[in-house]
Amino acid sequence: MDFHIERAKVLPKSNLAKFLEGLKNLSTLIAPVKKGDKFIFSEIEKVSDVAVNYTRTILPPKKFLVPYRRERFSYSTDTLQFNKEFKVRDQIIFGVHSCDLHGISILDSVYLKENPDPRYLEIRKRTVLIGISCMPDEFCFCLSTGTAFPDGANWDLFLTDIGADYFVTIGSPKGDEIVLKLRKLFKDIEKKDLYLYKESTSKKKKAFKLEKLPDLERISQLIELEYDSEVWKEGSERCLGCGTCTNVCPTCFCYTSVDVPTLDGKKVKRIEFTTSCQYPYYSLVAGGHYFKPDRASRFKHRYYHKFVGYPYQIEKLGCVGCGRCSAECPAGISIVETINRLRGIDEKELREATEQASSR
Amino acid sequence: MKKSLEKLLNKPLPVDPFMPQRAVITDIEELAPDHKKFSFAFCDESVNDSWNHIPGQFVMLTVPGAGEIPISICSSPTRKGTVELTVRKVGRKTEVLHRLKPGDYVAIRGPYGNGFPVGIMEGHNVLIIAGGLGIAPLRSLIWYILDRRHRFKEVYILYGTRSYEYVLYKEELKRLRERNDLKCLYTLDKFETEEDRRWADRKGLLTELIPMVELEPSETFVAVCGPPVAYRFIGKELLKHGYPESQIFVSLERKMECGIGKCGHCQIGYKFACIDGPVFPLWDTKNLPEMI
Ligand SMILES: Cc1cc2nc3c(=O)[nH]c(=O)nc-3n(C[C@H](O)[C@H](O)[C@H](O)COP(=O)(O)OP(=O)(O)OC[C@H]3O[C@@H](n4cnc5c(N)ncnc54)[C@H](O)[C@@H]3O)c2cc1C
Ligand code: SF4
Ligand code: SF4
Ligand code: FES
Repeated sequence: MDFHIERAKVLPKSNLAKFLEGLKNLSTLIAPVKKGDKFIFSEIEKVSDVAVNYTRTILPPKKFLVPYRRERFSYSTDTLQFNKEFKVRDQIIFGVHSCDLHGISILDSVYLKENPDPRYLEIRKRTVLIGISCMPDEFCFCLSTGTAFPDGANWDLFLTDIGADYFVTIGSPKGDEIVLKLRKLFKDIEKKDLYLYKESTSKKKKAFKLEKLPDLERISQLIELEYDSEVWKEGSERCLGCGTCTNVCPTCFCYTSVDVPTLDGKKVKRIEFTTSCQYPYYSLVAGGHYFKPDRASRFKHRYYHKFVGYPYQIEKLGCVGCGRCSAECPAGISIVETINRLRGIDEKELREATEQASSR
Repeated sequence: MKKSLEKLLNKPLPVDPFMPQRAVITDIEELAPDHKKFSFAFCDESVNDSWNHIPGQFVMLTVPGAGEIPISICSSPTRKGTVELTVRKVGRKTEVLHRLKPGDYVAIRGPYGNGFPVGIMEGHNVLIIAGGLGIAPLRSLIWYILDRRHRFKEVYILYGTRSYEYVLYKEELKRLRERNDLKCLYTLDKFETEEDRRWADRKGLLTELIPMVELEPSETFVAVCGPPVAYRFIGKELLKHGYPESQIFVSLERKMECGIGKCGHCQIGYKFACIDGPVFPLWDTKNLPEMI
């Protein structure tokens, strides 16, 4: 046998159930399932529950890497000896869209670049990410954020829909091992598969309504220059300050840490909770001084952090264009609309853009 | 897979940066109402020996059963063997801390933050401006400079607080005034008691001391720490007198949960106060909206 490491394989769609069954036998399987008329990532009991054709889940798969409530340490008040409290398990997250893979890569940078967090690293090392291709709906704008395709993100396998089959690209040794273990389910790639795979790129691109996409060129400078814009005030007048936009975001990472003693006060747990910059107490410091006193400044801060903060902190935009914040906002605030208003795109420009797009 | 990111995952598990070191309170000094200075020694001798920090850096202090708080180190790295923190009682965690006694355990991690740029300050005049509790991180800088006095040119200390009762490190500051290798100017908001009058050079705001400083601004580095409301006025006055905005360093306070760039709370504009600060050149107000 020739020595050969494969880069890609083909998985016939008829083998998908077996593939999922195979994954489930390997470790805990997490995948999107239908809940009401929405989708959520959930631990899988029956592989027939897995929904492969979904647009977006309410919450990103982030909740399996950084749970919304997580324990860090426990200690006793007598000895002040700290013990690690986090338990890590093997898990496979299947069916992650490109934007969410990029979201996880952003979290990788946040948690691992400087002062790496061992808890996150351990969870991440024991997580397999299997992506799947998708088609955009009216909230998606990943083409603007450069995250419509999985290139540049950290993942193990990626399934691209090419009609009767999935074209499976292998992104890591962990991904390769899975293919090897379940090799009976896969076929070798043929020329036509590669052709279809390449074609899928332009197919996805064409599914976007170009005139609806925000222009994110020079967005950092734009936001800095428009720091005092009326757009922030207008947006914040509709904003309820509920924090939904940050809670559903695949890249938001802010948390609060509290020490919770047991009833007798002898044993203490240090617990971290996901928080939101949209909450008033987020920036409260001693003396009751709020650094972000009004809703407008908090409303603005989210955009500022996504488009000015992240580029400085981790050299990437903090938004992957998943559209969750717009889709879930109870006040109907759209991130794309805010950006467009900031850019000063009025009706006339929108019309021109439409004409240009249709003549292309 | 992007190779630079792949590297992040292939690292071995690091030493836990969240894991604090156990320390014992060796001494507590009541400085003023609600202000106490705590001295600590780490239980692990090797941590004690290797401890080093830059003036202006802070630690995350675990108050047993209550939680972690960021506190500036008020002792100088030139004086080894103990770490000192001055804490004002303002809320739940600091209140629990104030109830502790010598011999009690706490836990500490750090030092964190950038601290004052002591390296580039060398060879220049130094103007130290402290308001209220802001004297705590600056005490570290003061002793650092005085222990290496020959490396710096002229040194000024301006310090303002409410009244004599609230003056911190009273004995030390008194002795500093008697030294002839630096100039001290103290002010108080109130002039009510005999002690107030005896202590202060002036009644009024800290900013009013700035015109009394006889230093060549371009040759001077300024270190400022005070209550949030003071920075704008002090900054303005300093600029008016010609101190370059890149040579004025302010130490800022923000809500902090982690101290290492993970929790997001301390963001000032696009920077993290905990890792990019807490010391910022005044110049950064251009980049960082809402900095002061
Ligand atoms: C880099 C840095 C260095 C620092 N150095 C020092 C130092 O050297 N010494 C020092 O004493 N402190 C220092 N601090 C400040 C110190 O960290 C805080 O005082 C401390 O965290 C307060 O904790 P607490 O639990 O006692 O107060 P908290 O209970 O958290 O409350 C803080 C204040 O906020 C008010 N407050 C709380 N909740 C509310 C609410 N819902 N609405 C209105 N007001 C509210 C309280 O009345 C209180 O005044 C520093 C902070 C930073 C960031
Ligand atoms: S900001 Fe909104 S669109 Fe962007 S990644 Fe977060 S939730 Fe998705
Ligand atoms: S500051 Fe706000 S927008 Fe930025 S990561 Fe934190 S919660 Fe998300
Ligand atoms: S204190 Fe957590 S990010 Fe700065």
